Amino acid sequence: MGRKPQKNDSLPGSLDMLILRTLSLRDLHGYGIVQFIQQSSANELLVEEGSLYPALQRLELNGWIEGVWGVTPNNRRARIYTITAAGREQLSVETRQYAKLTLAIARVMGTE
Amino acid sequence: MLRRLQYWLQRDKRSRALQEEMDLHLTEKAEELEAGGMPPERARLEARRQFGSVARKHEESREVWLTRFLSELAQDIRYGARSMAANKTFSALAVLSLALGIGANTAIYSFMEAILLRSLPVADPESLVVFNWQSPPPHNANKEWVHVMHGISGLAWPGAKGIMVSGMFPHAAFERMRDDNPVFSTVFGYYNGRRRTVSVNGQALLANAEYVTGGYFRGLAVSPAAGRLVEPADDHPSAPPVAVISFSASQQRFGGPAAAIGQPILVDNIPFTVIGVTPPAFFGVDPAIVPEIYLPLQTILQIEGPSVARDFTNQNHYWIEMMGRLRPGVTMAQAQAALAPRFHQWVEATASTDGERAKLPALVLNPGAAGLGGLRREYAKPIAVLLAMVGLILAITCANVANLLLARASVRRREIAVRLSLGAGRFRVVRQLLTESVLLASLGGAFGVLFAVWSMRTLTFLFSRGQENFTLHAGLNGNVLALTAALSVLCGVLFGLVPALQATGPDVMPALKNGRGGGTRHRTQQILVVAQIAMSFLILFAAGLFVRTLNQLHSVQLGYARENILLFTMNARQAGHRDPEIVTFYMNLRKRFEELPGVQSASFSHATLIASPRAGGILRGPIKAGPLAVDGARVLPSGPRYLSTMQIPLLAGREIDGRDQPNSPPVAVISERLARTYFGAENPIGRRISFPEEKRDFEIIGVSADLRNGSVKDEGAMSIFVPLSQVTPGGVTYALRSVGDPLRFANSVRELVRQADAAIPVTNIITQATEIDRSINREILFANLCTGFAILALLTACVGLYGVMSYSVTRQMAEIGIRMALGAQRRVVIWMVLRRVLLLAAAGLAVSVPVALMASRLVKSFLFGTQPNDPGTLALAGAILLGAAILAGYAPARRAARMDPLTALRQE
Repeated sequence: MGRKPQKNDSLPGSLDMLILRTLSLRDLHGYGIVQFIQQSSANELLVEEGSLYPALQRLELNGWIEGVWGVTPNNRRARIYTITAAGREQLSVETRQYAKLTLAIARVMGTE
Repeated sequence: MLRRLQYWLQRDKRSRALQEEMDLHLTEKAEELEAGGMPPERARLEARRQFGSVARKHEESREVWLTRFLSELAQDIRYGARSMAANKTFSALAVLSLALGIGANTAIYSFMEAILLRSLPVADPESLVVFNWQSPPPHNANKEWVHVMHGISGLAWPGAKGIMVSGMFPHAAFERMRDDNPVFSTVFGYYNGRRRTVSVNGQALLANAEYVTGGYFRGLAVSPAAGRLVEPADDHPSAPPVAVISFSASQQRFGGPAAAIGQPILVDNIPFTVIGVTPPAFFGVDPAIVPEIYLPLQTILQIEGPSVARDFTNQNHYWIEMMGRLRPGVTMAQAQAALAPRFHQWVEATASTDGERAKLPALVLNPGAAGLGGLRREYAKPIAVLLAMVGLILAITCANVANLLLARASVRRREIAVRLSLGAGRFRVVRQLLTESVLLASLGGAFGVLFAVWSMRTLTFLFSRGQENFTLHAGLNGNVLALTAALSVLCGVLFGLVPALQATGPDVMPALKNGRGGGTRHRTQQILVVAQIAMSFLILFAAGLFVRTLNQLHSVQLGYARENILLFTMNARQAGHRDPEIVTFYMNLRKRFEELPGVQSASFSHATLIASPRAGGILRGPIKAGPLAVDGARVLPSGPRYLSTMQIPLLAGREIDGRDQPNSPPVAVISERLARTYFGAENPIGRRISFPEEKRDFEIIGVSADLRNGSVKDEGAMSIFVPLSQVTPGGVTYALRSVGDPLRFANSVRELVRQADAAIPVTNIITQATEIDRSINREILFANLCTGFAILALLTACVGLYGVMSYSVTRQMAEIGIRMALGAQRRVVIWMVLRRVLLLAAAGLAVSVPVALMASRLVKSFLFGTQPNDPGTLALAGAILLGAAILAGYAPARRAARMDPLTALRQE
């Protein structure tokens, strides 16, 4: 269902996983998540910024993350997202699948 | 899904939050770019560029909330439609039975809606109030009438504990309520004018008339479709006679509302001018009678003549009905508190004896939003009973479809197990299965509406049974359709839920392996079948009671001829005939009718036998036989040789004949029971029957055998016949006894009347048999409808039973095979299956019989000549049910017995 390929993503559908991973490290608001992903990937991954918000809605609807109104480090009102227990579980599922997938691709490509 | 709904409900709030988040994102991005040395303007543009289309992303985010649900729903519906198409027989059967069930419910509900729930089509109906009164029972210990109400033109009906309730008031009471009240903005009165002869351009037709006071239309807040409506100034003795006609009458008689204004018309030969037309939706205040012409109340004196004039001002004659419109902010309770003392004060002054003062009527105000309660009183209970019946039918249908779905689930079990094991959530699969069943039910509902339209027509016909002025507008409207839709969805969920839950239950794994199993399912099926049998029995028993009631009614000894009698009604007075010529006119017509070849005898009377009134009608007030007050006798003014025409045996003396003229000594014929009750062993002939209030005295000249006039059910009916020529006749009903089909004289009769006076319409041409059937219409309706319901219920239950037994035989194939291989006789195998059928049926009966015995007490008032717990009917219904069950079970049993043991064993 409904995961549209993200142009700037290196792998289709990985945005959800990246968000979950980010939030599993710390609670952040939307822009914070973008910054974090870019910084921690050493600017290799460019998240299509607009696509972040549909993704956040989707994740929240599935009960994997929760947004509450709070204040950013810059003292601005923003929705701060927190990962839920279900979200962590989902993250581990997606992480395993991702590992399997990359391993398989690596095998095919002979890079393993 | 709940969360999704919640998101959707809060979508505005959420949408704003999302916008704020995005704005923040853009601001922060721009700031970051600026910090990197970009000029502010460019930074903002760059932030936007990198973000992409804000509006589109916003839209996409919003879609997340609902689209998945919708697209899944669309997917489920497509899937459901495919699987329905793949099982055409099953789907057709299910849709058909659901259509019957839902359609029947829709039809009955539409009647309930029309009769019990619909408001008057006027502005702010909630502030309308109907005036009623109630008092202790009017008879004293000697069965004499002691009440401040000496006479009534209209209805009084028994309330709880024998009290008398009525909506009729003397005109003076109306004036008092109208002029002295602080709580109503308008109080208005009306009086049912019954059928009047209305002539337009020389063409005479009968029309329902309503006499209304000047405040009627203002109080109801109705605006005219054309012209103006009756106003207080019109309701005045010296005002020019004006009339308001209904919208449909304006179309039929004048070709449209505008064309009717200012036109002259004759009402009972008195000239009126049409001044206005009511709007199309308006039907007066009583859903039972739709007036076609509204006349100012004062004109009643010209139209109905001196007999009414005396009632008009008589403070002890109750005849006018009243409604009021509450002033804004006044509650009905306040109005009641304000008016009850005023009415008490008024009515106390009209009592002339202590007996009358002891039981004065007390004012009771009722909500008037739905108009008058006559129809509701008459039909509320029958409709409730019918609604219960069709409700049961629908429940049986649902149980049956659930059963079919369960049986089908065994086929789909593998498919569902595969989907579950591939990771589909149980909820998701249940949802999909429910979508399918709701789809099935909705289709059933759609066809049900068609069925309902048809059955509404049939029911209207059955309810009215040829009554010319029957005006019950049941029809499809928003309310009814909403109920149908709700019912369809409810049914779908109801019969879909159990199979869906079971199919997705935790024990799916064995299904993957062999596609058998499902013990719980079998149990559920059996429970459903037992429920079906139990409910069918209820309907069967009710049908039995109603059919028995009808048979009893048909076998009643009427005491008069039922066959070969033609009845028809006319009113010469309305065409301008007056005393004494009117009597001659009626007499001459009688002779002409009698001369028709094939007519054996002809006579006339004030009303038909079955409609003959209790005291009232032409001769009013108490009846005395010598010093004794006669209670409950029916008085029927009739023409010469009426008893011979109706074949009522004469036991003593002579009957009324041509000798009894207006100026000859007044005479009467009484029935045997009346003679025995009030004259004992004495010979009543030569004694007298008197009407003190009318100052009339009749010498008894004959005694007739007993007859059931007034009502077929009235075992204790007593009759008094007096010569119509010796009272002041209005309309009459002729009776022709003929050889062969009496209806073939209808045209000759019309022709003869036309020759005598073309201005007199002949109405209600009907045979005596139909007239009698009409009086027991409710019983006929119930017997027919319930028989239909019972057949439907029984068929449905049998299909269910057949399904269960077939399935159970298939499951037991191996066991049966082994038994047969070991030498079991076919008979034994058949018995093995039938025994289970009988067990199921017996279980159903065990549940149902006590319920039936309790429930049947509720319909006691609908029964005649049979008790609600009639053992014969109970036994018959039980036998029919068992018979049907055995028939349904026999086919699977025979299949089991015909099975080749080897094949059966190999299949396992």
